[in-house]
Amino acid sequence: MSGQPRVFLVDDHDLIRSGLRTELAGSVELAGEADEVDAAIEMIVERAPDVVLLDVHMPNGGGRAVLQAVLKTNPTIRFLALSVSDASEDVISLIRLGARGYVTKNISGPELIDAIYRIAAGDAVFSPRLAGFVLDAFSSGASEEAIATVDEEFDQLTPRERQVLRLIARGYSYKDVAEELSISTKTVESHVSSVLRKLQLSNRYQLSNWASERHLT
Amino acid sequence: MPVTIAVTPTLGIPQKPLRRSSSDAVLGGVAKGFAIRLGVKERTVRILFAISALFAGLGVLAYVALWLFTPRSGEDHSIAQQVSMNRRDKQLLLIACVVALVAMFSLNPFSFRLGGTFAWALLLCLVGLFGVWRGSSIDERHHLGDFASAVPIVGSATARGWKAVVIRVLPGVVLVVVGLNILNRIGGVWGAAVPALLGALVLIGGLLILFTPWWLQTVRDLSSERRQRIRMQERTAVMGHIHDSVLQTLTLIERSAASEADVVRLARSQERELRQWLFNPEVFDAINNGTNSFVGLVGAIEHEIENDYGTKVELVTVGDCATDEGISALAAAGREAAINAAKWSGASSISIYAEVETANVSLFVRDTGKGFDVNAIPADRQGIEVSIKQRMTRHGGRALVRSTVGSGTNVELVLPRRATT
Repeated sequence: MSGQPRVFLVDDHDLIRSGLRTELAGSVELAGEADEVDAAIEMIVERAPDVVLLDVHMPNGGGRAVLQAVLKTNPTIRFLALSVSDASEDVISLIRLGARGYVTKNISGPELIDAIYRIAAGDAVFSPRLAGFVLDAFSSGASEEAIATVDEEFDQLTPRERQVLRLIARGYSYKDVAEELSISTKTVESHVSSVLRKLQLSNRYQLSNWASERHLT
Repeated sequence: MPVTIAVTPTLGIPQKPLRRSSSDAVLGGVAKGFAIRLGVKERTVRILFAISALFAGLGVLAYVALWLFTPRSGEDHSIAQQVSMNRRDKQLLLIACVVALVAMFSLNPFSFRLGGTFAWALLLCLVGLFGVWRGSSIDERHHLGDFASAVPIVGSATARGWKAVVIRVLPGVVLVVVGLNILNRIGGVWGAAVPALLGALVLIGGLLILFTPWWLQTVRDLSSERRQRIRMQERTAVMGHIHDSVLQTLTLIERSAASEADVVRLARSQERELRQWLFNPEVFDAINNGTNSFVGLVGAIEHEIENDYGTKVELVTVGDCATDEGISALAAAGREAAINAAKWSGASSISIYAEVETANVSLFVRDTGKGFDVNAIPADRQGIEVSIKQRMTRHGGRALVRSTVGSGTNVELVLPRRATT
């Protein structure tokens, strides 16, 4: 990737798309946009952008369908999930399907641009809220000792990863996390990426059914 | 000298001698052997056996006889020869014959009319099969064992031992015989039982055709009515909520369109409330109908700060627990810290992170505003010391306030959970 990342917008609300266009103009190269699932899949595959900003809630299967269809043929395209909702099951399931990050739509322009650059560089973008969801998902259910004996490597976070996620959930930027723990920003990024990988690979019952469980209790 | 025969029949070319097939035998390999001997298709022979079985069981008898008297391919002696060479087998066969005859005559008054000549054929076959079992070679016996375990009743029973066969098969056979006998008395199988069954089936079919539509209609009506009622209730709830909150807020926004800060504040607060209502109903309930959970308390702090100070709050919660005195104190200390941040830091947003673990409940309040020198607080300013630190230590917790001038403040509040909760 040289210069500005090529970004594709998928959202069924015209207002949101035009807002994003204005915010992003000049900072990234816009590769195109789509307002429905089938068109989005076709155009993304055709134009192969670096990053796709993907609305989670769209008709006809929504963001999930786009993510699955595109990653099947073009696994190198990176997705950043964008959503107004805070329904944790949507967020976690998108990440598990392969999105590299999640931000809410009320994120500020510079923050969004920063997130896009991070995603384009291959990093994961964890907003405080996502970090909270992940911590919740990995710690719900059995007590920690029980998890350690039963679950596999993917099914639990290392103490360091937990520490990093906690700081992110408290509102620390990656740079602040690095300072606080006296490690490099690169190390923070690698911890976050590893959490993302675990999130995608783990078969933990709690992860797949976590959201529905949460609504029951 | 063992004689081995061709493996498949060649159409139109008879091949001598007649031997039972050992390679693809279903039972004794008689049909296959015959097909090879006559140069016809195997299936033709099988169909002929089946048809002739209808004539007083002739086909079955012929099959058993050929099984007994034809040597198996690759073996020197037929089964009959094998049996006749062994004294013990001969005696056993004789006993079997006697048992069969006795059984025949004792069953005679009971169910003889049922089969007539069929019964004789059946008995002869049973005796013949007994002979086969005694006289067959080890290899063939093995094959028959495999066959037996594939047969529905015998197979599942033999897997559990011969005792199971006796326990399950014998009562079954007796019941079938008794049942047939009863049918016989009321006019025979074909005379009464079959017409009666057919009549009953036709009757049931007719009734089904007549009454099913009516029944389905009733069921459908009931469930659609129920669904409609539920939908109505949901609609009423949603409308009520939208009217109470969203419409009110929109009106307020219209009125205060001149003040940007007010519009943002109203929109934020409405967004937060709607979000809670949609995705975190327990928090919504907690805030609006009296708080009884930790997350509810923290949600109330977010609500208060955003409404009263117009500062954006980024709230993240992990886990939840019921409130008690300690939890309330923790939340109160957190509220104090958040208000301080909103009032003095000058930051446009503050972060609150609440986590419930097995051992601790923690609350973190963070801003990236002005910051201050922790050691230089005037002695008369009691906020941090009394409202935060002392409050926490009183309930067995601890508070850590860190601040750097120019880069912001972090307040960490940790409360150990009681063993009982």
